[in-house]
Amino acid sequence: MDALEAIAAAVWPRSFSAAVPWLMLLPAVVLVGLLVLGLWDMADGSFRTLDTATFLPSDDYSLANYHRAFTERLFFTVASRSLIGSLIVTAITLFLAFPYSYVMVRTRSAALRKFLLIALFLPFFIGQVVRAYGWLIILGSQGMVNEALGLVGVSPIRLLYNYPAVLFGLVQYMLPFAVLMLAPALTAIPEEMESAAGSLGANWVRTFLHVVLPLAKPGFIGAGLVVLTLSLTDFAIPAILGGGSQDFIANAIYDQFFRTSDQGMGATLALLLVAVGSMMVGVVFALFGAGTLAMGRSK
Amino acid sequence: MTETIAAGTPFAVSVRDVNMVFDGVHAVRDATFDLERGRFLTILGPSGSGKTTLLRMIAGFGKPTSGEVFINGLAVGSVPPHRRSIGMVFQKLALFPHMTAAENVAFPLRMRRFDARTIPDRVQRYLDLVKLGRLGDRRIHELSGGQQQRVAIARALVFEPDLLLLDEPLAALDRKLREEMQLEFRRIQRELDVTTINVTHDQREALVVSDEIIVMDHGRIQQKARPEATYRQPNNAFVANFIGVTNFIEGTVASVDGERIAFERAGFAGRTGNGFRPTAGASARGALRAEQIRIAGGREALGDVDTVVDGTVTDAIFEGERVVYEVAVADLGEATLRVFDHDPVAHSQHDVGSAVALGWNVKDVLVFGD
Repeated sequence: MDALEAIAAAVWPRSFSAAVPWLMLLPAVVLVGLLVLGLWDMADGSFRTLDTATFLPSDDYSLANYHRAFTERLFFTVASRSLIGSLIVTAITLFLAFPYSYVMVRTRSAALRKFLLIALFLPFFIGQVVRAYGWLIILGSQGMVNEALGLVGVSPIRLLYNYPAVLFGLVQYMLPFAVLMLAPALTAIPEEMESAAGSLGANWVRTFLHVVLPLAKPGFIGAGLVVLTLSLTDFAIPAILGGGSQDFIANAIYDQFFRTSDQGMGATLALLLVAVGSMMVGVVFALFGAGTLAMGRSK
Repeated sequence: MTETIAAGTPFAVSVRDVNMVFDGVHAVRDATFDLERGRFLTILGPSGSGKTTLLRMIAGFGKPTSGEVFINGLAVGSVPPHRRSIGMVFQKLALFPHMTAAENVAFPLRMRRFDARTIPDRVQRYLDLVKLGRLGDRRIHELSGGQQQRVAIARALVFEPDLLLLDEPLAALDRKLREEMQLEFRRIQRELDVTTINVTHDQREALVVSDEIIVMDHGRIQQKARPEATYRQPNNAFVANFIGVTNFIEGTVASVDGERIAFERAGFAGRTGNGFRPTAGASARGALRAEQIRIAGGREALGDVDTVVDGTVTDAIFEGERVVYEVAVADLGEATLRVFDHDPVAHSQHDVGSAVALGWNVKDVLVFGD
């Protein structure tokens, strides 16, 4: 032991101990630093237009890409589709996640709690792309749903490659995240609070509205932010369940980078996405606080 | 099952043959008692005795496995908590952190649809009652532990419930504040004349605040009596042991003469506790309170007592207002008796190892069989 301590003292003298917290932050600093480098490179690229003769970025800087992003109909359609879609997905997901988390947290049956937890984690093991393909099998024109409808004499309905299909897939994908973010917030509400509301004269509806909902607010904010940002920036679900007709921003960025090879335009869209996402998070923080993401601090 | 006991019953609460079994645990067994209006009852017992389960059934948070609870003579088995007229102060208070003190107090009035115009006045009246008149705008986390207690009391009483239930709300407080709040509970209960049931494991609290005490153990009601009777006439050895500091002296019964039971040990006798009538040769135990024993350096200094033994001090603990002695008594089979001397200034103090004489009166020894 003494030898080990001597070596440790030689490598890392006690006087360095003040630096230990910074040392622990180092991996995070390196990661974020790399991200900033990448962003810097993209920012540089976003000011260069594609030279259609050589297929190389121009040497001179201009705001042409940004002008296109704000004026061209296609980008406006894609952006509004993503924004509205992510808001709808967030609302539906939170609405569905709350009862799920509530039952999971409050049930007296250990078996039911385990079942709900496993049902929650199972999709994580499958992966997003495989799951999206699963939906193709179920919802396709010769899929299980349409076959079942055929048995009762309904002709096949087009369930895929439209906006609702994408939103449906996103909700299904986001639900576990929302439940995982909500559950700790609900666990933090003592059951005694609900008993107290009951003894004070509140039925379950009013207990829910006046006590549970306000106390679960941090969980809703945390879950809402995670769902909003993840669905705003999602790629696979719009690509697969939208079949190319329901592109979100990430799909448009992909197209610019890898189809038209217009890296400048891709970079522009990517930066705008970062800006919009950050602004939305900022607005939520300003209006409601950081919720569970505040890590228990009020400021 | 009867739906009502009687119209115009004087009892605010009647509990009849109530049992509670959950997860195979028989938490409450055959509980039966009546509580008159305006009285302060304490259910006292160690943890796991079933006292909280019994209280929660009265509140409506648990349905008895069998038996019935009556409030004002009406069976309430199928009435949910929010339709019972019961104010409850919870163990962890359960104040709503997202509301101010005044909003917490207003909550039951809003839920019970009181006329909105009367609510502010009424809230202020109850905040004044608990001496929080000017702190209504504070958030819960801005209040001290004692102030939070007061908000919880005001919230439980503001809608003038038929019954106030206290689920060990004082357990987490430090001693000084707890004793202060005990007196506050007592004052407010007398002022409003509200029937109150308090649950605690603190025997001192039970003695201080209550009109009546129910002692529970292992799910059973052991005794229901006024505080003084609970202390002086315990029903059995459990009650004698749980309340106060009691010495138990085991032995074989030599003879029974009316109330008086003599043991085979030289000169040791007592009177029957709770009608216990052993036959000669049976084993029994005498219960003797630590404060009923006199201690002195010699037998002649004990004064007028009818049982005297010699002993050796094995420990002496100075507690300020009293000295607690542990005395080994050879004549009682090396039993160690705990003795309180409440006037350590006037009396001489006895060092560890010194020989002393102990004395008491036969009437203070209660003999039980269990």
